[in-house]
Amino acid sequence: QCFIFSITVNANLTSLPEKHLVLLRDGRTLIGYLRSIDQFANLVLHQTVERIHVGKKYGDIPRGIFVVRGENVVLLGEIDLEKESDTPLQQVSIEEILEEQRVEQQAKQESEKLKVQALKERGLSIPRADTLDEY
Amino acid sequence: MFRNQSLEDCPLDEDEDAFQTLGEEDEDINQFNDDTFGAGAIDDDWQEAHERLAELEDKPATARELEDGAVSDEMELLGHHEENLAERLSKLVIENELEDPAIMQAVQTQPPMQQSGGLNSSIWDGSAVLRRFRGPLLTQILCPKPVHIRAPMQQRYPSPYGERMSPNQLCNVSNSSLLGHPFPPSVTPVFTHLQRAQLLGGAQAGRMSPSQFARVSGLVGSPLTSMNPKLLQGRVGQMMAPASGFRAFFGAPPPPAPPSSQQQHPPCPGSHLQNLRPHPQMFRPDTTHLHPQHRRLLHQRQQQNRNQHRSLNGSAGDRAGHRSSHQEQLRKDPYANLMLQREKDWVSKIQMMQLQSTDPYLDDFYYQNYFQKLEKVSAAEEMHGDGPKKERTKLITPQVAKLEHAYKPVQFEGSLGKLTVSSVNNPRKMIDAVVTSRSEDDETKEKQVRDKRRQTLVTIEKTYSLLLDVEDYERRYLLSLEGERPALMEERKQKICDMYDNLRGKTPGQERPSDDHFVQIMCIRKGKRMVARILPFLSTEQAADILMATARNLPFLIKKDAQDEVLLCLLRPFSLVLYHLPLGTVTSLLQQLANLPQSATVPAPANLHLTAVLQNKFGLSLLYLVLSRGEELQNSSAAMELMQDNQWTELMSMATRELLRIPEAALAKPVSTPSNLLSLFSRYVDQQKLNVLETKLQLVQGIR
Repeated sequence: QCFIFSITVNANLTSLPEKHLVLLRDGRTLIGYLRSIDQFANLVLHQTVERIHVGKKYGDIPRGIFVVRGENVVLLGEIDLEKESDTPLQQVSIEEILEEQRVEQQAKQESEKLKVQALKERGLSIPRADTLDEY
Repeated sequence: MFRNQSLEDCPLDEDEDAFQTLGEEDEDINQFNDDTFGAGAIDDDWQEAHERLAELEDKPATARELEDGAVSDEMELLGHHEENLAERLSKLVIENELEDPAIMQAVQTQPPMQQSGGLNSSIWDGSAVLRRFRGPLLTQILCPKPVHIRAPMQQRYPSPYGERMSPNQLCNVSNSSLLGHPFPPSVTPVFTHLQRAQLLGGAQAGRMSPSQFARVSGLVGSPLTSMNPKLLQGRVGQMMAPASGFRAFFGAPPPPAPPSSQQQHPPCPGSHLQNLRPHPQMFRPDTTHLHPQHRRLLHQRQQQNRNQHRSLNGSAGDRAGHRSSHQEQLRKDPYANLMLQREKDWVSKIQMMQLQSTDPYLDDFYYQNYFQKLEKVSAAEEMHGDGPKKERTKLITPQVAKLEHAYKPVQFEGSLGKLTVSSVNNPRKMIDAVVTSRSEDDETKEKQVRDKRRQTLVTIEKTYSLLLDVEDYERRYLLSLEGERPALMEERKQKICDMYDNLRGKTPGQERPSDDHFVQIMCIRKGKRMVARILPFLSTEQAADILMATARNLPFLIKKDAQDEVLLCLLRPFSLVLYHLPLGTVTSLLQQLANLPQSATVPAPANLHLTAVLQNKFGLSLLYLVLSRGEELQNSSAAMELMQDNQWTELMSMATRELLRIPEAALAKPVSTPSNLLSLFSRYVDQQKLNVLETKLQLVQGIR
């Protein structure tokens, strides 16, 4: 349930601030310094960066201060600063990553359409993902 | 009122004056508008007016103010609360608090309910304590201007308890003071369950959140009494005149259970009211409630940092190191430690409270099972005597005894009857949905089919619930007392019977004429899985019956299973059942399976049944199982049941004949080929045919 933020709550007290990674329900990944948290998992993130991942590439969009409503948080974790630089992922510019994302979204939509078509032929229908957390 | 007067003065009967008077009215109306909404309404001296009002109606006035603020989310309006708080407090400072009639009365009503106890009695040495509270509290709150000026964070959350009392002490106090029956009868009806829950929920968490603290004080107008709910009770009791009582209830915002995410809140206050056991878990030092692994990590990191800073500063003492590291940290990162340790503890405590559970299996099934599996794995590893024992400590969550508390609906003082407010604890029917059953004529074929399918689905769901219950009985058995066990067993038996009836379609009193019900269930994927799970619980006859029904209808089921391919899940339970069956049953099973006629005289033109069976993986595997079992039985039995033996032999010869006829290409690949099939067939056919069979059925696989 909520073991995850019992460490971070106490980790706030260490001298070096820790970066945290937050995954939101709509699929966004935010990385920033967690400044405050409450019992609903509402978060205050400082110097936040929204990281978009596409394949092996990623791009960072600086966002500033984020206040996240707790119900939208999927998970929250600490980033090991040493391991952070140790990644096989490649950072690219914002424009490039946005373009990649768009392409990926398009491909996904097309495959989704095909799926729905195939299911329809078998007489099954899956509800639209509007109300579900899907990304 | 002015307006009414003017209207009465110019009655509309008189037409000649009518327009004139209307014109006059217009002017008046403009004037009135102005007075109400426009420039005239602003009384420049609102502060004075406000103070006057405040003096007149001390507490109710503040409640009214709070009404607007308290509606929205508490955290967001923290600033406003503080503003009000500061103002209110400044008005409420009375030099000599002992003269405050409310406090005096409160103090007087409390003593009869007090129990002996060191801490309790110290609180109730009224004035001394109050003075103690007031001092540091007021100096901290009165001084700063409210929130819009960016005050350093420390001041935002002033120590509500005064320096002398630690938060832990307070909690002990409030908890212990709640033991027994704290509320005198005169006061009880005043405080609803909701508000009690809120207050106690707040006290519960070890401290009240700054906003809760403000909200509660809104009720009474003094933050001091809010800290001790009992004092609060007294004050509230005193001031609750029927009219003001109404207002005070509005002061507490409606959400019946404060933050809906805290499901534990309603039970907790109740439990603490009646639960005489203290809860030491709540007041552990700050790291104890961390998961052991996390705690270790955290300490490690702390150690590292300490070492780092020590080396940086080159100072010997730990303390010095800490201080300078602290400063350095502030220099590096001015936003660090925005949350005070106290606040973090507070959040952690709430999280721990949320983890309290009366029935962990019910609340957190997957977590429990996951950890059980892990433990089993590690225990198994240990058995092999491998490496050092891995420390696999679990986070111990406090277990609370489940307590029943009746829901008491919200009551307003002086009103008749109860409000029907629907909440989580008290769901109310909102819509009257009437079920209209269609007449027979309207139904078309498709609708009938659809309804039938729905019926089947409902049956499956019901049976599944029974199944889950039955599977759970073992665990319950272990947890139950000796006396309860026979009853549990009875229940279990009954449920198993019900399941079986559901499966076969209960017909009142008579033989089950048709497999239809069962077949319908078996057409649905969930139904098949469910049957596989139910089989172990059924008696041998019942299980055999199921097997027979399956065998009888196998081609149909195979056809229906084409997309799902779930039939294979039934193989294991079927084979288990087979091991318990006598030869006679096995024989009839084979007969059903192969759809072989009773006597060998009638040569069947083409055995489509058997063909279908053989072409399907499940069918073929099942056939093999049956044959193998029959062979085993025949080998073992001492030729006692001659009749059955003959039948078996006949069937076998027929079966073999059929098998020979079927083209090889059409055969499916079975799950497993039992080893005794070859010897089985060798009895009934000659060598040549045996060879044919061998190759066809690939009975010889590699090693012979």
